[in-house]
Amino acid sequence: MNISERVRERIIIWDGGMGSMLQERGLQPGELPETWNITHPEVVIDIHRQYIEAGADIINMNTFGANRLKFPGGEGGSVQEIIRAAGQNARRAVEKSDTDREILIALDIGPTGKLLKPLGDLDFEEACRIFAEQVIEGERSGADLILIETMSDSYEMKAAVLAAKENSRLPVVATMVFDEKGKLLTGGTPAAGVALLEGLGVDALGINCGLGPVQMKEIVKELLAYASVPVAVIPNAGLPRSENGKTVYDIDAQAFAREMDEIVQMGAVIVGGCCGTTPEHIRCMRERCALRKPVPVTEKEHTIVTSYAAAVEIGRRSVIIGERINPTGKPKFKQALRDHNIDYLLREAAAQQEAGAHILDVNVGLPEIDEPSMMEDAVREIQSVTELPLQIDTSDMEAMERALRIYNGKALVNSVNGKEEVMNQVFPLVQKYGGVVVALALDENGIPETAEGRIAVARRIYDRAAQFGIGKKDILIDGLAMTISSDSRSALTTLETISRVKEELGGRTILGVSNISFGLPARPGINAAFYTMALQEGLSAAIINPNSEDMMRAYFSYCALAGLDSNCRDYISRYAGQNGQGTLAAANQAQKDTGSDTSRGGLSLGQSIQKGLREQAASEAEQLLKAREPLDIINEEMIPALNEVGQGFEKGTVFLPQLLMSAEAAKAAFEVLKAYMARQGVAQEKKGKIILATVKGDIHDIGKNIVKVLLENYSYEVIDLGKDVPPERVVECALEHKAALVGLSALMTTTVPSMEETIRQLHEHVPGVKVMVGGAVLTEEYARTIHADAYCKDAMASVNYAETVLGKRG
Amino acid sequence: MADSKDWELREILRYLGYKTKDVPDQAVLDMIQEMKSLLREHMQPRRVFRIFPIVGIEEGTVDLGFSVIRSKNLAKNLAGCTQAAFLAATLGSGTERLVQKYRKMQMSKAVVLEAVCTEAIEKYCDSCEAEIRSALGEGWKLRPRFSPGYGDFPLEYQRQMIGVLDTAKRIGLTLTDSLLMMPSKSVTAVIGAAAEEGACAEPNRGCRACEKADCAYRKD
Repeated sequence: MNISERVRERIIIWDGGMGSMLQERGLQPGELPETWNITHPEVVIDIHRQYIEAGADIINMNTFGANRLKFPGGEGGSVQEIIRAAGQNARRAVEKSDTDREILIALDIGPTGKLLKPLGDLDFEEACRIFAEQVIEGERSGADLILIETMSDSYEMKAAVLAAKENSRLPVVATMVFDEKGKLLTGGTPAAGVALLEGLGVDALGINCGLGPVQMKEIVKELLAYASVPVAVIPNAGLPRSENGKTVYDIDAQAFAREMDEIVQMGAVIVGGCCGTTPEHIRCMRERCALRKPVPVTEKEHTIVTSYAAAVEIGRRSVIIGERINPTGKPKFKQALRDHNIDYLLREAAAQQEAGAHILDVNVGLPEIDEPSMMEDAVREIQSVTELPLQIDTSDMEAMERALRIYNGKALVNSVNGKEEVMNQVFPLVQKYGGVVVALALDENGIPETAEGRIAVARRIYDRAAQFGIGKKDILIDGLAMTISSDSRSALTTLETISRVKEELGGRTILGVSNISFGLPARPGINAAFYTMALQEGLSAAIINPNSEDMMRAYFSYCALAGLDSNCRDYISRYAGQNGQGTLAAANQAQKDTGSDTSRGGLSLGQSIQKGLREQAASEAEQLLKAREPLDIINEEMIPALNEVGQGFEKGTVFLPQLLMSAEAAKAAFEVLKAYMARQGVAQEKKGKIILATVKGDIHDIGKNIVKVLLENYSYEVIDLGKDVPPERVVECALEHKAALVGLSALMTTTVPSMEETIRQLHEHVPGVKVMVGGAVLTEEYARTIHADAYCKDAMASVNYAETVLGKRG
Repeated sequence: MADSKDWELREILRYLGYKTKDVPDQAVLDMIQEMKSLLREHMQPRRVFRIFPIVGIEEGTVDLGFSVIRSKNLAKNLAGCTQAAFLAATLGSGTERLVQKYRKMQMSKAVVLEAVCTEAIEKYCDSCEAEIRSALGEGWKLRPRFSPGYGDFPLEYQRQMIGVLDTAKRIGLTLTDSLLMMPSKSVTAVIGAAAEEGACAEPNRGCRACEKADCAYRKD
């Protein structure tokens, strides 16, 4: 069936609540409603029949929670048995009911009840497999369409829609739960939800559960403003309250129907009921709404990229894409990639967000590394520290597909161009996973020299994209900034391209701005001027360095001048308090002055460390390097300070936050010394390798991370395997690195057994290795019984033990 | 709703290991302040509770009709009660993301943020109790919150509570395979309600009710 065609004719009526109806019929608290497909089929059939007779066009199979996590097989029945029985019950009800309307049966898929990684412990691909199992059995059991509903996590919803699309050709409707503030439980907005779902190619989308129709209206308005597919609205019977252990809802059938009628007039074309609604609600709703003429569904022209929480619209005010996560011309970045040093990337991400970027470009291409897996790790990790949407920047198609697949949201894709071969590779990925794609206005014949030529390529790209179902709004034409040092008219060509894409083609544009000045001195000035000119031509997005104050000032100034910053609010909040020229230099000077003031006030490096002052520790280290050798500074200034803090912690006069702040200050000073030593070509001394891991099943890693910070301070090379680490992986790593010491942490009594198993395997396969353990539930004695070599009650204890195993410094 | 004005500095410091006599330095106080405002911005506290009649309490078991809990400590905690509320509360996944972010970026802030979160969820639970009290109506006295994992109340009962309250769907609270709550800044608890006049002497509250005498956070 084709949903879009059907809603052109008339409103589609979905059925009402199943779980709450089953509770009325005796379902016990905590009992899984899906089991009733097998244990009480007559009740399930009867409820379906009532809904059909009340006027539902679509009924849901009783399969909301019929997944492998809730039905692992055995006594309660397998997923397949439950879904098969549910399908039979639905069909039986259609046969029994007294209607000549065509009734459709939907496979109902709710969330798994688990949180996906990195927040929870369910792997994204595992979630896809769980949903796939439901989809396959649902289609086999006679479903006419698939409803993915009650989704409050954009990532889980993506897994479910992908599973449906990959395993069936049935139409897919996906509905989300928003709270009264219009947010998903995981923070997403309606616009972000629409962008994600349309990108994945659903046939209709909407909202269900969580709220009653009254509270939903504002959110429905938002959905309708952004959605180009039909919108479904399936509310609860008002808001719930608990009465004598029972949940009751506050809206009766008549009031429900009245509200739904308004929602239909707003533009929703698929309506039904969720928790607490009854056949009576559906009957009244049908009476009022079914004969309304559906509001036509129209194409919306918003260009939107999203993360799990944020939606960034491209095309209103120009957006800034941070270009710093890219190894080109950055030796330190390249080294970080070779070392798989994700922390380095995370710091770049945080700094650019701080500086005002709206989207972050991610490029990790380096010939000698495994780019696809690095890209996947980088995207996952960067998404765990920032809500900014990402731009996946790679020419490696495997890296692009893996990144787009695991990306939580609708990404910006960098890039495609007019070459047939490239379009044939990139567009299918964008078609499948969704995305806004950067399209370079060049093709097999190279870069057209004229704007006319570039516009022609842009037209061809639009046409080809349309064949893949990708609309103009999801393409950003890159007008190609080429250096003016080799062609003095190249900037004008680029600007003309930008302007004509906007005016003639009605499209959106993007530029890598700084290319314009390649080969020239004093580039920031030229770049900023060109940026301003491009903004004036209507540039939709720019890939720039947000840490460059020239660029940011050009941006904020332009927005203020172009009437895009009401009351100059953003400009003032950024620059208030700064006087005219050279503000940045002045600010830097001021900072330096305070720095040296303090040091004149007598704070040495050691004191800065003890007080946990990062900037001061770093600048003191810089000062000391003018007169002394790095190793002297470490041994005579830093180590004594760290020892004093450590001893204070053990005595109970220094507390955990101070201990860590000191460690972080010391780390900042170490970075300065390390950079100096690298410049001088001095080898850096490391005392030995220590492997740290939070054991399998445990995803609480705060303790382990505290230990890591301190051990690094004492010059140990820490190999951090992260959380939820299987024993085999720890053993493998210990063997590979010939580590003499492994530190394990476990937070829960339930995960101590996997700690014990890890210790057993380590002792069996890695002769001589020592294992130290820690964690909230452990004690000295408990540690002994699981055969740990040492119990560390806190982070300092682990440093002390490491020194006994690997030796003290010097 | 949770009101950050109720968060007590002294409690936050206690979670960070400070005893009453210890004086924190300004840098730590500043960081606490910073984390408090961050948390205020990111948290989305949510709760769900249901109140059930207690069918019977014998030594070592509590019978709720749909479920029988085996736990001497819980039975003792609920002695004299005729109703019990199941409560689940969470600061939400935005909070969890914030905590996990700082664990990657800056551990000192992560540790301070955790302490602030602990105080926030405790105070939020207090406000949930007030809601439960008003749902019960006049004439009821509440027992201290008692959570799976306290004493001999099996941690495994967490699964039932999560299921009965449908927390994944209602408030986004889930369990890992190892029974860890996610988002981690969350609480589940059973709260007994006794009719006011028939109520026996108030049992030990808070730390004094707990058997873990060597706990670092014990208040005495």
